[in-house]
Amino acid sequence: MPPIIEISGLRKTYRRSFRQPHHALDGLDLEVAEGQVHGFLGPNGSGKTTTLRALLGLIRVDGGTMRIFGEEVPQRLPQVVSRIGAVVESPQFFKHFSGRLTLQLLAESAGVDKNRVEEVLEQVGLRDAAKASVKGYSLGMRQRLAVAQALLKQPQLLILDEPANGLDPAGIHHMRELLQWLAHSQGVTVVVSSHLLSEVQVLCDSMTIVSRGRRIVDGNVAEIIAGHSGASLNVRLPDAASLPEAVEVLTASEPEVKAVIARDKLVVSGAPEPAWVTQTLAEAGLYLSELTTETKNLESVFLELTGTAATPGETVQIGQSVEVAPVEAELQVEGVQQ
Amino acid sequence: MNLFKTELRRILRRRLTLIFGILSAAGLLTLVGVMGAISSKGPSEGDLAEAQIWADEANETNPEFNDCVRDEDHFETEDYVWVREDPAYEDLTHQERCEYFVGGFTAEDYLYVYTFNFANEGQYTLVGVVIVVGLIMMMVASSAIGAEWSSGGMSNLMVWHPNRLKVWGVKLGAALAICAAAVVAFSLLAFGLLYLVAVLRGEVGDMNSAWWENSTERWSRTGLLALGMTALGASLAMLGRHTAIASGVIAGYLIVGDLIVSLVSMALPMDYPERLSLYTWVSAWISGRVELYNWNAEEFVPDVMVITSTDAGLLLGGVVLFFALLATWSFRRRDAA
Repeated sequence: MPPIIEISGLRKTYRRSFRQPHHALDGLDLEVAEGQVHGFLGPNGSGKTTTLRALLGLIRVDGGTMRIFGEEVPQRLPQVVSRIGAVVESPQFFKHFSGRLTLQLLAESAGVDKNRVEEVLEQVGLRDAAKASVKGYSLGMRQRLAVAQALLKQPQLLILDEPANGLDPAGIHHMRELLQWLAHSQGVTVVVSSHLLSEVQVLCDSMTIVSRGRRIVDGNVAEIIAGHSGASLNVRLPDAASLPEAVEVLTASEPEVKAVIARDKLVVSGAPEPAWVTQTLAEAGLYLSELTTETKNLESVFLELTGTAATPGETVQIGQSVEVAPVEAELQVEGVQQ
Repeated sequence: MNLFKTELRRILRRRLTLIFGILSAAGLLTLVGVMGAISSKGPSEGDLAEAQIWADEANETNPEFNDCVRDEDHFETEDYVWVREDPAYEDLTHQERCEYFVGGFTAEDYLYVYTFNFANEGQYTLVGVVIVVGLIMMMVASSAIGAEWSSGGMSNLMVWHPNRLKVWGVKLGAALAICAAAVVAFSLLAFGLLYLVAVLRGEVGDMNSAWWENSTERWSRTGLLALGMTALGASLAMLGRHTAIASGVIAGYLIVGDLIVSLVSMALPMDYPERLSLYTWVSAWISGRVELYNWNAEEFVPDVMVITSTDAGLLLGGVVLFFALLATWSFRRRDAA
C-alpha cells in the first residue's frame, strides 16, 4: 500500500541580508503509512512546522518532492485539499466571532454540510461554549476549536501541529482517544507534531524524528524504543569503590565495550551479551549485586538521538541538536527497520 | 461562489464594518439635519425690512457712495463709458450702479439667510458623501485583509483554499462588491434626504436633462473612484500584511506625501507643479476637467495645461492597477509564514 505522505529530499533555505542562510530543511525524507497515528518529532528549530507548512502549500521549498495521496504537492494540492484537515501552529481566529460562526464560515466556504459544525463541536467538547466569542476562549479551548475546524471536512488525512498545546489533562486524554479512534476505527491517517514525548509514546503508532532539517530515524514507535533499549546495562557491585576496577577489567577484555561510572553504578554499553559481563567480572574477582538492562522511554531515546540531553551546568541552545549526514541518516533508518 | 459568499459574510460580520456603517449613517443624518436646520425658504418681509435698515445705516456713513447717489451725472464721465455701453448694466438704476461700482451696502449684505438649493449644491454634497464612503471602504477592505494576515486567519484559510489567486480574487471582489453596495445605498439615501430638505426647507432648483447628465457622469466617476480606493486599500494590506501598514501608507501619503510633493515642486523650476499632486488628478477625475496655468512673466496670457477625466482616469487607474498587480505577485510568491 503506497504511503499517504511521501516527502523526499525536501530543502528550504531562508536567506537573510547580511547573515548566513539558514537551512530549515536539508534534504528531509518522510513517509507516513495509511491509517496510522504518526508522530513527527524533533527539537525546536529542526524543521517540523516548516515541513508541515510546505506540505500544505503555505511556503515554497527550494528542492525535493512531496506527495499526498500519490499526488504531487503543492501543484496538485487543490485536488486533494478536500481530503486533508490541518492545524498548523497555534491557530488564531477572529476574536469577536463565536466558535460556531468561525466554523460555519469555513464550512460554508468549502461547501461542507452545515450539520458538520454541530458534530465537530460535540466531538471536541465545545458544544456548550459554541456561542461564546473566541476572545473569551482559553488556549485549550482555542486548540479544540482548531482541531474542530480540521475535522470539519471529515478528512482522510489529519495534520496537527502540537494538538495538545494548552490542553488540560482531561483534554489531552480526550484528544488522544479521539485521534486513536479516528485512525484505528475510521481509517484516518493522523500526523501529529508534538513535544509531549510521553503523549506521543502513548498516542502514536509510528514516528519520524528529525534534527536540523533531516530525518534521524523513523519507524514503529515501540520498535524504535526497543531498538535503543537494552543496548546498555546497569551494573552494581556490593562495594561502589570497586567500580573503577570493574571499568578497567571490562574495557581491557573487549575494546568495543564502553563502561562509565554513573554515581553508584556502572553503565556498560557494547557488551556482546549480559552473561559476558557477569563472567568477565567474576573471573576478575568482582561479583555483581545487580545487573539490569536499561529500559528507555521515548524521551530518553529522543534526547539520545537528537543529542539534546542537557549536561550539568550547560544549557542546550536552539540548533545544537545533532547534525546527520544524509547517508548516515539512511543507514540508521535501515538499522531500525531491520 | 461559496468562498465569495463567505467572504461577504465575514466582512459584514466584522465589528469594524458595523462601527463604520453606523458612524457613516449617523454622519449622513447629522449632515442632512444641519442642512435642514440652517436652510430656509427665504427671508421673511420682516427680515428684509430689518436688513434694509442696516444697509441704509451703513450707507449713511459712506461719503463716496452718498456723493455718487447725489450726483446724477456720476457715470457720465469718461471713466465710466464702458458701464454705459455694456448691455449687462443697462437695466441697473443709478443707485444700484453706485452700490455696484462705488461700493454701497444692500439689504442682501445683511441677510443671514441660507437657502439650500438641491440642483446647485446637492450634486457636490453627494460627491462628498461618495468620497467619504470610498475612504471608509478603503479602511474596511484594508482592515479585513490586514487583520486576517496578522491574526493567522489567512494561513488557516489557505489550508482550506490553496489556490492563492482564487483567494485574492475573491477577497478583492467581495470588498469591491460591498463598496459598490455601500456607494449605491448611501448615494440613494443621501439623495433622498437632501431632496427632502430641499422640498421642505429650501429650493429644488432646475433639474433639467443637462443637470441629470452632468450629475450622473460626476457621480459615476466618483463611484469608480471609491471602488479604486477600496482596491488600493485591499492591495496595500495584502502587500504589507497588516492593517496598520496599509493605513499608514495611505494616511502618510495623503498628509505628508502630498506636502513633500508640494515642497519639491516649489523647489524645482518646472511648469505646472500642481500636476505632481494626486489631488489635482482626483479633482480632474471627479469634475471632468482641470486647467493648470503657467504664468510667464513676459506674457500676460498664461500657458494652459488641461487635464481631462480620461487623463486622470488613466493615471489613477494605473496607480491602482500597479498596486493590485504587485499584491497579486507578492501573494503568489511569498511564503505565508
